[in-house]
Amino acid sequence: MKRKDDLLLQNVGGQDLLVPLGSKVLDMNGMVVLNPTGRYIWELLAEDRSLEDLVTAVVARFKVGADRAGADVRTFVDDLSRKGWIDI
Amino acid sequence: MTGVPTEYGPLVRELHERAARLRQPINGAFELTSACNLYCRMCYVRHSAFDRTVRGKELSAVQWLELARQAKDNGLLFLLLTGGEIFLRRDFFDIYEPLTRMGLIIALFTNGTLVTRAIAERLAQAPPNRMEITLYGATAATYEAITGVPGSFAACCAGIEALVANRVPLGLKTTVTRYNVDELEDMRQMAHNWGLPFSGAWMLSHRPDGQPSDVENCRLSAAECVELEATDRASAEEWSEAALRELPADNHYNFYCKAGKAAFTVNPSGDMNTCLLLPEPAARPLDSGFKAAWAQVGKYVDSAPPPSSVCLACDARVYCGRCPAWSLIETGTLTAPALFWCDIARARKERYEWPA
Repeated sequence: MKRKDDLLLQNVGGQDLLVPLGSKVLDMNGMVVLNPTGRYIWELLAEDRSLEDLVTAVVARFKVGADRAGADVRTFVDDLSRKGWIDI
Repeated sequence: MTGVPTEYGPLVRELHERAARLRQPINGAFELTSACNLYCRMCYVRHSAFDRTVRGKELSAVQWLELARQAKDNGLLFLLLTGGEIFLRRDFFDIYEPLTRMGLIIALFTNGTLVTRAIAERLAQAPPNRMEITLYGATAATYEAITGVPGSFAACCAGIEALVANRVPLGLKTTVTRYNVDELEDMRQMAHNWGLPFSGAWMLSHRPDGQPSDVENCRLSAAECVELEATDRASAEEWSEAALRELPADNHYNFYCKAGKAAFTVNPSGDMNTCLLLPEPAARPLDSGFKAAWAQVGKYVDSAPPPSSVCLACDARVYCGRCPAWSLIETGTLTAPALFWCDIARARKERYEWPA
Protein backbone atom coordinates (compact mmCIF):
# COMPACT_ATOMS: atom_id res chain seq x y z
CA MET A 1 0.00 0.00 0.00
CA LYS A 2 1.07 3.57 -0.63
CA ARG A 3 -0.29 6.98 0.23
CA LYS A 4 -1.92 9.12 -2.44
CA ASP A 5 -0.29 12.39 -3.33
CA ASP A 6 -3.24 14.72 -2.78
CA LEU A 7 -2.59 15.26 0.93
CA LEU A 8 0.36 17.14 2.37
CA LEU A 9 1.91 16.87 5.80
CA GLN A 10 2.23 20.20 7.61
CA ASN A 11 3.51 21.10 11.05
CA VAL A 12 2.26 23.92 13.23
CA GLY A 13 3.99 24.45 16.53
CA GLY A 14 4.88 20.78 16.78
CA GLN A 15 1.42 19.59 15.75
CA ASP A 16 1.38 17.41 12.62
CA LEU A 17 -1.51 17.91 10.21
CA LEU A 18 -2.65 16.47 6.91
CA VAL A 19 -3.96 19.12 4.55
CA PRO A 20 -5.84 18.28 1.33
CA LEU A 21 -4.61 19.48 -2.05
CA GLY A 22 -6.54 20.43 -5.18
CA SER A 23 -9.92 18.78 -5.67
CA LYS A 24 -9.41 16.77 -2.47
CA VAL A 25 -10.72 19.84 -0.65
CA LEU A 26 -14.22 18.91 -1.79
CA ASP A 27 -14.00 15.56 0.04
CA MET A 28 -12.15 16.80 3.07
CA ASN A 29 -12.62 20.46 3.81
CA GLY A 30 -10.24 21.12 6.65
CA MET A 31 -7.41 19.07 8.01
CA VAL A 32 -6.58 16.03 10.08
CA VAL A 33 -4.36 15.95 13.16
CA LEU A 34 -1.79 13.15 13.30
CA ASN A 35 -0.19 11.79 16.45
CA PRO A 36 3.49 10.78 16.28
CA THR A 37 2.62 7.20 15.28
CA GLY A 38 0.24 8.41 12.58
CA ARG A 39 2.86 10.76 11.24
CA TYR A 40 5.46 7.98 11.21
CA ILE A 41 3.18 5.62 9.31
CA TRP A 42 2.21 8.38 6.88
CA GLU A 43 5.87 9.04 6.15
CA LEU A 44 6.52 5.32 5.65
CA LEU A 45 3.65 5.18 3.18
CA ALA A 46 5.54 7.48 0.82
CA GLU A 47 6.85 4.12 -0.45
CA ASP A 48 4.89 0.97 -1.16
CA ARG A 49 4.62 -0.95 2.16
CA SER A 50 2.94 -4.09 3.37
CA LEU A 51 1.00 -4.19 6.62
CA GLU A 52 3.81 -6.29 8.07
CA ASP A 53 6.39 -3.66 7.08
CA LEU A 54 4.43 -1.01 8.93
CA VAL A 55 3.91 -3.11 12.06
CA THR A 56 7.58 -4.07 12.21
CA ALA A 57 8.63 -0.45 11.85
CA VAL A 58 6.21 0.77 14.51
CA VAL A 59 7.32 -1.91 16.97
CA ALA A 60 10.95 -0.94 16.44
CA ARG A 61 10.32 2.78 16.68
CA PHE A 62 7.83 3.04 19.54
CA LYS A 63 8.81 0.05 21.69
CA VAL A 64 5.34 -1.47 21.78
CA GLY A 65 4.31 -5.10 21.55
CA ALA A 66 3.61 -6.61 18.14
CA ASP A 67 0.01 -7.46 19.04
CA ARG A 68 -0.92 -3.96 20.03
CA ALA A 69 1.05 -2.38 17.19
CA GLY A 70 -0.62 -4.75 14.72
CA ALA A 71 -4.10 -3.84 15.91
CA ASP A 72 -3.41 -0.09 15.95
CA VAL A 73 -1.72 -0.05 12.54
CA ARG A 74 -4.54 -2.11 11.01
CA THR A 75 -7.15 0.28 12.41
CA PHE A 76 -5.26 3.28 11.11
CA VAL A 77 -4.68 1.79 7.68
CA ASP A 78 -8.32 0.71 7.41
CA ASP A 79 -9.33 4.27 8.20
CA LEU A 80 -6.94 5.68 5.59
CA SER A 81 -8.28 3.21 3.06
CA ARG A 82 -11.93 4.03 3.82
CA LYS A 83 -11.13 7.71 3.35
CA GLY A 84 -9.45 6.93 0.04
CA TRP A 85 -6.12 8.37 1.12
CA ILE A 86 -4.02 5.29 0.27
CA ASP A 87 -3.85 2.88 -2.62
CA ILE A 88 -3.94 -0.72 -1.46
CA MET B 1 -13.15 37.48 10.95
CA THR B 2 -12.57 33.85 11.65
CA GLY B 3 -11.35 31.87 8.67
CA VAL B 4 -12.42 28.31 9.19
CA PRO B 5 -15.38 25.98 9.20
CA THR B 6 -17.06 26.10 12.61
CA GLU B 7 -16.25 22.53 13.53
CA TYR B 8 -12.55 23.27 13.17
CA GLY B 9 -12.75 26.36 15.36
CA PRO B 10 -11.21 24.91 18.53
CA LEU B 11 -8.44 23.18 16.58
CA VAL B 12 -7.64 26.31 14.64
CA ARG B 13 -7.57 28.41 17.79
CA GLU B 14 -5.20 25.90 19.37
CA LEU B 15 -2.95 25.97 16.30
CA HIS B 16 -2.85 29.75 16.42
CA GLU B 17 -1.94 29.67 20.11
CA ARG B 18 0.89 27.22 19.44
CA ALA B 19 2.08 29.23 16.47
CA ALA B 20 2.03 32.50 18.41
CA ARG B 21 4.16 30.97 21.14
CA LEU B 22 6.72 29.91 18.54
CA ARG B 23 6.27 33.00 16.35
CA GLN B 24 5.34 30.82 13.39
CA PRO B 25 3.54 32.83 10.67
CA ILE B 26 0.71 30.36 10.08
CA ASN B 27 -1.89 32.93 9.04
CA GLY B 28 -1.37 35.20 6.06
CA ALA B 29 -3.53 37.47 3.95
CA PHE B 30 -2.49 38.41 0.44
CA GLU B 31 -4.28 41.55 -0.74
CA LEU B 32 -3.94 40.80 -4.44
CA THR B 33 -5.34 44.15 -5.51
CA SER B 34 -6.93 47.19 -3.94
CA ALA B 35 -8.92 47.83 -7.11
CA CYS B 36 -12.61 46.99 -7.20
CA ASN B 37 -15.39 47.09 -9.76
CA LEU B 38 -17.87 48.30 -7.12
CA TYR B 39 -17.99 51.71 -5.48
CA CYS B 40 -19.16 50.85 -1.96
CA ARG B 41 -19.46 54.08 -0.05
CA MET B 42 -18.09 52.70 3.24
CA CYS B 43 -15.21 50.60 1.86
CA TYR B 44 -11.89 50.90 3.68
CA VAL B 45 -9.67 49.88 0.79
CA ARG B 46 -11.07 50.28 -2.70
CA HIS B 47 -9.48 52.08 -5.63
CA SER B 48 -10.97 52.34 -9.08
CA ALA B 49 -10.53 49.33 -11.32
CA PHE B 50 -9.28 51.80 -13.92
CA ASP B 51 -6.62 53.42 -11.71
CA ARG B 52 -3.50 52.50 -13.65
CA THR B 53 -1.15 53.97 -11.08
CA VAL B 54 -2.56 51.75 -8.36
CA ARG B 55 -2.74 48.69 -10.55
CA GLY B 56 0.75 49.23 -11.88
CA LYS B 57 2.16 48.72 -8.37
CA GLU B 58 0.58 45.30 -7.89
CA LEU B 59 2.88 42.32 -7.51
CA SER B 60 2.94 39.95 -10.46
CA ALA B 61 1.65 36.39 -10.25
CA VAL B 62 5.24 35.15 -10.17
CA GLN B 63 6.02 37.43 -7.23
CA TRP B 64 2.94 36.33 -5.26
CA LEU B 65 3.91 32.72 -5.76
CA GLU B 66 7.49 33.34 -4.69
CA LEU B 67 6.15 35.05 -1.59
CA ALA B 68 3.82 32.13 -0.89
CA ARG B 69 6.65 29.63 -1.27
CA GLN B 70 8.81 31.53 1.18
CA ALA B 71 5.90 31.93 3.59
CA LYS B 72 5.15 28.23 3.35
CA ASP B 73 8.79 27.42 4.12
CA ASN B 74 8.41 29.54 7.25
CA GLY B 75 5.23 27.78 8.37
CA LEU B 76 2.27 29.37 6.58
CA LEU B 77 -0.89 27.25 6.73
CA PHE B 78 -3.94 29.53 6.47
CA LEU B 79 -3.93 31.87 3.49
CA LEU B 80 -6.59 34.44 2.62
CA LEU B 81 -6.69 35.94 -0.86
CA THR B 82 -8.57 39.21 -0.75
CA GLY B 83 -8.85 42.62 -2.35
CA GLY B 84 -10.20 44.90 -3.63
CA GLU B 85 -11.86 42.44 -5.93
CA ILE B 86 -9.64 39.43 -6.57
CA PHE B 87 -11.37 38.46 -9.83
CA LEU B 88 -10.38 41.77 -11.39
CA ARG B 89 -6.96 40.21 -11.79
CA ARG B 90 -6.86 38.48 -15.14
CA ASP B 91 -4.03 36.34 -13.84
CA PHE B 92 -5.99 35.25 -10.77
CA PHE B 93 -5.82 31.56 -11.63
CA ASP B 94 -2.09 31.84 -12.38
CA ILE B 95 -1.76 32.71 -8.71
CA TYR B 96 -4.54 30.60 -7.25
CA GLU B 97 -4.06 27.23 -8.90
CA PRO B 98 -0.39 26.75 -7.89
CA LEU B 99 -1.33 27.80 -4.35
CA THR B 100 -3.86 24.97 -4.15
CA ARG B 101 -1.02 22.50 -4.60
CA MET B 102 1.09 23.90 -1.77
CA GLY B 103 -0.78 22.38 1.18
CA LEU B 104 -2.42 25.59 2.36
CA ILE B 105 -5.89 26.12 3.82
CA ILE B 106 -7.12 28.77 1.41
CA ALA B 107 -9.93 31.29 1.79
CA LEU B 108 -11.15 33.70 -0.89
CA PHE B 109 -13.01 36.96 -0.24
CA THR B 110 -14.92 38.41 -3.20
CA ASN B 111 -17.99 40.46 -4.00
CA GLY B 112 -19.06 37.68 -6.36
CA THR B 113 -20.15 39.97 -9.18
CA LEU B 114 -17.39 38.82 -11.54
CA VAL B 115 -17.83 35.11 -10.84
CA THR B 116 -19.01 33.55 -14.09
CA ARG B 117 -20.02 29.95 -14.64
CA ALA B 118 -16.59 29.33 -16.16
CA ILE B 119 -14.85 30.73 -13.09
CA ALA B 120 -17.04 28.66 -10.76
CA GLU B 121 -16.30 25.52 -12.77
CA ARG B 122 -12.58 26.23 -12.70
CA LEU B 123 -12.65 26.87 -8.94
CA ALA B 124 -14.46 23.57 -8.46
CA GLN B 125 -11.48 21.75 -9.96
CA ALA B 126 -9.42 22.80 -6.92
CA PRO B 127 -11.78 24.60 -4.57
CA PRO B 128 -10.75 26.89 -1.74
CA ASN B 129 -11.52 25.64 1.75
CA ARG B 130 -13.80 28.60 2.12
CA MET B 131 -15.08 31.38 -0.06
CA GLU B 132 -16.97 34.38 1.28
CA ILE B 133 -19.16 36.75 -0.65
CA THR B 134 -20.39 40.00 0.82
CA LEU B 135 -24.05 40.68 0.18
CA TYR B 136 -24.97 44.36 0.45
CA GLY B 137 -28.72 44.02 0.33
CA ALA B 138 -31.64 41.74 -0.41
CA THR B 139 -32.98 43.90 -3.22
CA ALA B 140 -31.31 45.49 -6.21
CA ALA B 141 -32.36 48.93 -4.99
CA THR B 142 -30.65 48.60 -1.62
CA TYR B 143 -27.64 46.62 -2.85
CA GLU B 144 -26.90 49.03 -5.66
CA ALA B 145 -27.50 52.11 -3.52
CA ILE B 146 -24.46 50.92 -1.58
CA THR B 147 -22.31 49.56 -4.42
CA GLY B 148 -23.15 52.34 -6.87
CA VAL B 149 -23.20 49.95 -9.82
CA PRO B 150 -26.42 49.18 -11.72
CA GLY B 151 -26.79 45.46 -12.37
CA SER B 152 -24.38 44.47 -9.59
CA PHE B 153 -27.08 42.78 -7.48
CA ALA B 154 -28.06 40.43 -10.30
CA ALA B 155 -24.40 39.77 -11.08
CA CYS B 156 -23.71 38.91 -7.44
CA CYS B 157 -26.70 36.54 -7.29
CA ALA B 158 -25.59 34.87 -10.52
CA GLY B 159 -22.10 34.44 -9.10
CA ILE B 160 -23.47 32.86 -5.93
CA GLU B 161 -25.67 30.50 -7.91
CA ALA B 162 -22.77 29.43 -10.13
CA LEU B 163 -20.65 28.65 -7.08
CA VAL B 164 -23.47 26.77 -5.35
CA ALA B 165 -24.13 24.75 -8.50
CA ASN B 166 -20.48 23.76 -8.57
CA ARG B 167 -20.32 22.89 -4.86
CA VAL B 168 -17.63 25.43 -4.09
CA PRO B 169 -17.53 25.89 -0.27
CA LEU B 170 -19.23 29.23 0.21
CA GLY B 171 -20.57 31.52 2.91
CA LEU B 172 -22.38 34.84 2.68
CA LYS B 173 -21.81 37.81 4.91
CA THR B 174 -22.98 41.35 4.97
CA THR B 175 -21.60 44.67 6.01
CA VAL B 176 -24.41 46.14 8.05
CA THR B 177 -24.99 49.82 7.35
CA ARG B 178 -27.74 52.33 7.93
CA TYR B 179 -28.81 51.69 4.34
CA ASN B 180 -29.28 47.91 4.46
CA VAL B 181 -29.97 47.06 8.10
CA ASP B 182 -33.69 46.78 7.37
CA GLU B 183 -32.98 43.96 4.92
CA LEU B 184 -30.87 41.90 7.29
CA GLU B 185 -33.59 39.31 7.78
CA ASP B 186 -34.25 39.09 4.05
CA MET B 187 -30.53 38.61 3.36
CA ARG B 188 -30.45 35.82 5.92
CA GLN B 189 -33.40 34.21 4.15
CA MET B 190 -31.61 34.46 0.80
CA ALA B 191 -28.61 32.67 2.27
CA HIS B 192 -30.89 30.06 3.79
CA ASN B 193 -32.59 29.49 0.44
CA TRP B 194 -29.20 28.81 -1.13
CA GLY B 195 -28.26 26.58 1.80
CA LEU B 196 -25.42 28.88 2.80
CA PRO B 197 -24.19 30.17 6.17
CA PHE B 198 -24.66 33.87 6.82
CA SER B 199 -22.95 36.39 9.07
CA GLY B 200 -22.80 40.13 9.44
CA ALA B 201 -20.41 42.81 10.62
CA TRP B 202 -21.37 46.33 11.61
CA MET B 203 -18.00 47.79 12.69
CA LEU B 204 -17.10 50.01 9.77
CA SER B 205 -13.60 51.39 9.55
CA HIS B 206 -12.30 54.58 8.03
CA ARG B 207 -9.66 54.10 5.37
CA PRO B 208 -6.15 53.39 6.70
CA ASP B 209 -4.72 55.43 3.81
CA GLY B 210 -6.56 58.52 5.03
CA GLN B 211 -8.64 58.94 1.89
CA PRO B 212 -12.30 59.90 2.39
CA SER B 213 -15.16 57.43 2.58
CA ASP B 214 -18.75 57.67 3.72
CA VAL B 215 -18.28 55.65 6.91
CA GLU B 216 -19.78 58.21 9.24
CA ASN B 217 -23.06 58.26 7.33
CA CYS B 218 -23.14 54.48 6.91
CA ARG B 219 -22.40 53.46 10.49
CA LEU B 220 -25.17 52.55 12.86
CA SER B 221 -25.03 54.30 16.21
CA ALA B 222 -23.25 52.48 19.03
CA ALA B 223 -26.60 51.77 20.70
CA GLU B 224 -27.99 50.33 17.46
CA CYS B 225 -24.89 48.15 17.01
CA VAL B 226 -25.14 46.71 20.49
CA GLU B 227 -28.86 46.15 20.14
CA LEU B 228 -28.16 44.27 16.91
CA GLU B 229 -25.43 42.08 18.32
CA ALA B 230 -27.59 41.21 21.29
CA THR B 231 -30.61 40.26 19.25
CA ASP B 232 -29.40 39.14 15.84
CA ARG B 233 -27.35 35.99 15.54
CA ALA B 234 -25.86 36.92 12.19
CA SER B 235 -24.33 40.08 13.52
CA ALA B 236 -23.04 38.65 16.78
CA GLU B 237 -19.59 38.01 15.38
CA GLU B 238 -18.11 41.31 16.53
CA TRP B 239 -19.20 40.57 20.05
CA SER B 240 -18.06 36.97 20.08
CA GLU B 241 -14.66 38.04 18.76
CA ALA B 242 -14.39 40.54 21.57
CA ALA B 243 -15.64 38.03 24.11
CA LEU B 244 -13.10 35.43 23.03
CA ARG B 245 -10.18 37.77 23.44
CA GLU B 246 -7.82 37.13 26.27
CA LEU B 247 -7.76 40.43 28.07
CA PRO B 248 -6.81 40.10 31.71
CA ALA B 249 -7.00 43.35 33.60
CA ASP B 250 -3.24 43.49 34.04
CA ASN B 251 -2.51 42.96 30.35
CA HIS B 252 -0.93 46.16 29.09
CA TYR B 253 0.19 44.66 25.81
CA ASN B 254 -1.17 46.75 22.95
CA PHE B 255 -1.30 44.02 20.27
CA TYR B 256 -3.46 41.45 22.04
CA CYS B 257 -4.33 39.63 18.79
CA LYS B 258 -2.15 37.26 16.78
CA ALA B 259 -0.81 39.97 14.45
CA GLY B 260 2.96 39.81 14.26
CA LYS B 261 3.00 36.65 16.37
CA ALA B 262 1.20 34.19 14.09
CA ALA B 263 -0.36 36.41 11.42
CA PHE B 264 0.69 38.87 8.77
CA THR B 265 -0.68 40.58 5.67
CA VAL B 266 0.91 41.60 2.40
CA ASN B 267 -0.57 44.52 0.49
CA PRO B 268 -0.84 44.68 -3.32
CA SER B 269 2.59 46.23 -3.77
CA GLY B 270 4.32 43.67 -1.53
CA ASP B 271 4.57 45.44 1.84
CA MET B 272 4.25 43.06 4.78
CA ASN B 273 2.16 44.55 7.57
CA THR B 274 0.56 43.56 10.83
CA CYS B 275 -3.01 43.49 9.51
CA LEU B 276 -5.22 44.75 6.71
CA LEU B 277 -6.20 47.80 8.75
CA LEU B 278 -2.69 48.67 9.92
CA PRO B 279 -0.28 49.36 7.05
CA GLU B 280 2.88 49.16 9.16
CA PRO B 281 5.78 48.35 9.36
CA ALA B 282 5.82 47.90 5.55
CA ALA B 283 8.53 45.26 5.59
CA ARG B 284 9.64 44.08 2.14
CA PRO B 285 9.74 40.27 2.04
CA LEU B 286 10.63 40.11 -1.65
CA ASP B 287 13.65 42.32 -1.04
CA SER B 288 14.86 41.15 2.36
CA GLY B 289 13.50 37.61 2.31
CA PHE B 290 10.37 36.45 4.10
CA LYS B 291 12.12 35.50 7.32
CA ALA B 292 13.68 38.92 7.82
CA ALA B 293 10.41 40.69 6.96
CA TRP B 294 8.47 38.51 9.39
CA ALA B 295 11.00 39.28 12.11
CA GLN B 296 10.53 42.99 11.37
CA VAL B 297 6.76 42.69 11.81
CA GLY B 298 7.26 40.85 15.09
CA LYS B 299 9.66 43.51 16.33
CA TYR B 300 7.17 46.21 15.40
CA VAL B 301 4.43 44.53 17.41
CA ASP B 302 6.67 43.84 20.40
CA SER B 303 7.96 47.38 20.58
CA ALA B 304 4.53 49.05 20.32
CA PRO B 305 3.70 51.29 23.25
CA PRO B 306 0.99 50.11 25.67
CA PRO B 307 -2.57 51.39 25.35
CA SER B 308 -3.18 54.84 26.77
CA SER B 309 -3.69 55.22 30.49
CA VAL B 310 -7.27 56.24 29.71
CA CYS B 311 -7.93 52.84 28.12
CA LEU B 312 -6.10 50.91 30.82
CA ALA B 313 -8.16 52.60 33.52
CA CYS B 314 -11.48 52.30 31.67
CA ASP B 315 -14.07 50.23 33.52
CA ALA B 316 -15.61 49.14 30.18
CA ARG B 317 -12.32 47.86 28.77
CA VAL B 318 -13.36 44.23 28.68
CA TYR B 319 -16.21 45.21 26.35
CA CYS B 320 -13.98 47.13 23.97
CA GLY B 321 -12.57 46.02 20.62
CA ARG B 322 -10.08 48.84 20.26
CA CYS B 323 -6.71 47.75 18.98
CA PRO B 324 -3.67 49.62 17.67
CA ALA B 325 -5.10 49.53 14.13
CA TRP B 326 -8.33 51.20 15.22
CA SER B 327 -6.42 53.78 17.23
CA LEU B 328 -4.18 54.57 14.28
CA ILE B 329 -7.06 54.96 11.86
CA GLU B 330 -9.25 56.97 14.19
CA THR B 331 -6.60 59.03 16.02
CA GLY B 332 -3.29 58.81 14.19
CA THR B 333 -1.59 57.09 17.15
CA LEU B 334 -1.26 53.45 18.12
CA THR B 335 -2.50 54.07 21.62
CA ALA B 336 -5.25 56.68 21.96
CA PRO B 337 -8.90 55.74 22.61
CA ALA B 338 -10.88 55.17 19.40
CA LEU B 339 -14.02 57.07 20.27
CA PHE B 340 -16.54 54.90 18.43
CA TRP B 341 -15.21 51.89 20.31
CA CYS B 342 -15.56 53.86 23.56
CA ASP B 343 -19.24 54.31 22.72
CA ILE B 344 -19.64 50.61 21.87
CA ALA B 345 -17.91 49.48 25.06
CA ARG B 346 -20.02 51.81 27.17
CA ALA B 347 -23.24 50.63 25.49
CA ARG B 348 -22.25 46.99 26.04
CA LYS B 349 -21.46 47.57 29.68
CA GLU B 350 -24.82 49.18 30.22
CA ARG B 351 -26.63 46.38 28.44
CA TYR B 352 -24.81 43.35 29.76
CA GLU B 353 -23.69 44.24 33.29
CA TRP B 354 -26.14 43.58 36.04
CA PRO B 355 -26.42 45.12 38.50
CA ALA B 356 -24.98 48.19 36.76
